[in-house]
Amino acid sequence: MVGSVADRFEDAYRGGWMPMLAKGSDARLLWYFDLAHGSGLAYRAITVTAVEDGGAYARLAERLAGGDLQTWARHLDGLQHQSVGRVMTTLDWSPRIGALRDVPTDPAEHEPTMYMEDTMWPFPGKLDAYIEASGLIYRRALAAEDARMHMSIELALQTMPGAGRSSEVSLLQKLSSLPRLIDLLTHEIPPEVTGPGSWMHEALELRDQWRSKLLRTAVWSPLR
Amino acid sequence: MLFMHETHRVIGRHAAAFEDLYRSGWMGALSRDGDARLVWYLNHAMGSGPSYQVVTVTAITDGPAWEALARRMLRGDLSDLATRLDSCRYEVEGKLLRPVDWSPIRDLDLDQIPTDGREHDLSVYMQDTGWPDAPLDDYIELWDKDYWQHMRRTPPDKKLLDIQACFQVAHGSGIRPEAMLMQKIVSFSTLGGLLTSVEKHDPTTWPGSYMAKGLELRDQWESKLLRTTSWSPLW
Repeated sequence: MVGSVADRFEDAYRGGWMPMLAKGSDARLLWYFDLAHGSGLAYRAITVTAVEDGGAYARLAERLAGGDLQTWARHLDGLQHQSVGRVMTTLDWSPRIGALRDVPTDPAEHEPTMYMEDTMWPFPGKLDAYIEASGLIYRRALAAEDARMHMSIELALQTMPGAGRSSEVSLLQKLSSLPRLIDLLTHEIPPEVTGPGSWMHEALELRDQWRSKLLRTAVWSPLR
Repeated sequence: MLFMHETHRVIGRHAAAFEDLYRSGWMGALSRDGDARLVWYLNHAMGSGPSYQVVTVTAITDGPAWEALARRMLRGDLSDLATRLDSCRYEVEGKLLRPVDWSPIRDLDLDQIPTDGREHDLSVYMQDTGWPDAPLDDYIELWDKDYWQHMRRTPPDKKLLDIQACFQVAHGSGIRPEAMLMQKIVSFSTLGGLLTSVEKHDPTTWPGSYMAKGLELRDQWESKLLRTTSWSPLW
């Protein structure tokens, strides 16, 4: 975003994008996040919009290129330096967001929620194995009562061919304990978490490059 | 119509195998249905940029056809081919493109695109990708009125480029603002002049006026010199 007009950028989504999508049934804004200052690049917003299917996606792109959303897109051009998008689909084991009609389109304000967005790039030919292992091992480990990190996977996605980088998997994980996050940031990861037999160790056969982003929902974000 | 534009960082020692997978695998697999076709297979000309980089463009009739194709690649009958392609490259970066209203490729007939790998001369394209700091629509309009229209009036013996397509990124599948021109180079002597001459752009003459006006909308773009293979469906 252009820092000096960050508020107007957010308002374009809150007062424009979200209600305009709400007029139809095949697309909804799900999340509006700010990348937490102090954890990465300044003035970065992450938005996640759900579309029903490929046809709904193409219709939305058409509306932005030459239809009723073109003016909105033009307005946004003046409020951002650039946006980078990708089209993703849910992994088989991902939690579901439910029906689009049930996503709030005029949400009551709420406390901000912290998320950790992890994006991984499995080695060539290891995408399917990574997806399977992350569902069987990583997801279950997060859900265990003695889990080191208190967070839950809200949505697990992979980038669609032709609409982003491949191979790529992203996990949107809701943090429920700030002290646990601070602990992760300020301490070495203990050997029992990184040693042979652990997810950290064994998953190195499938990938060793990923990026974490700490995201904070806006107080009006439809999902939180 | 959507165009799946993919830039592949190919493993050098597997470059021939990668090309063969596209020629005998991808092109043939798409030809069995009527809603997607490989359009271009292009090698980034060595000596003008990165090594072993390939650009492919696949035309798809609409959004549902793209989703169906993507799902075939992820979990369906094309997943084995996708895995073999992955084993021949470091990375692939894709985006979905929409032809702008005046793009010559807008009315492409998929049934007319060769799928048999017939051989022909090589062509070289200049792929220009621009990122305006003005509204995207204004940039595309500049390309139309001050670039495309002028080129159409240029006598054949004076032409450097023939614009085959102009695209904008389908929202959410890449960068905004971004637009792209696929331009076939029709005069290599004129290209040589462009590469070697030190031009001062006189804003009262074309292309000086276009260059000067263009600076009001953007100053960042990238040109890639891409060479078709001898079997690329379009060339």
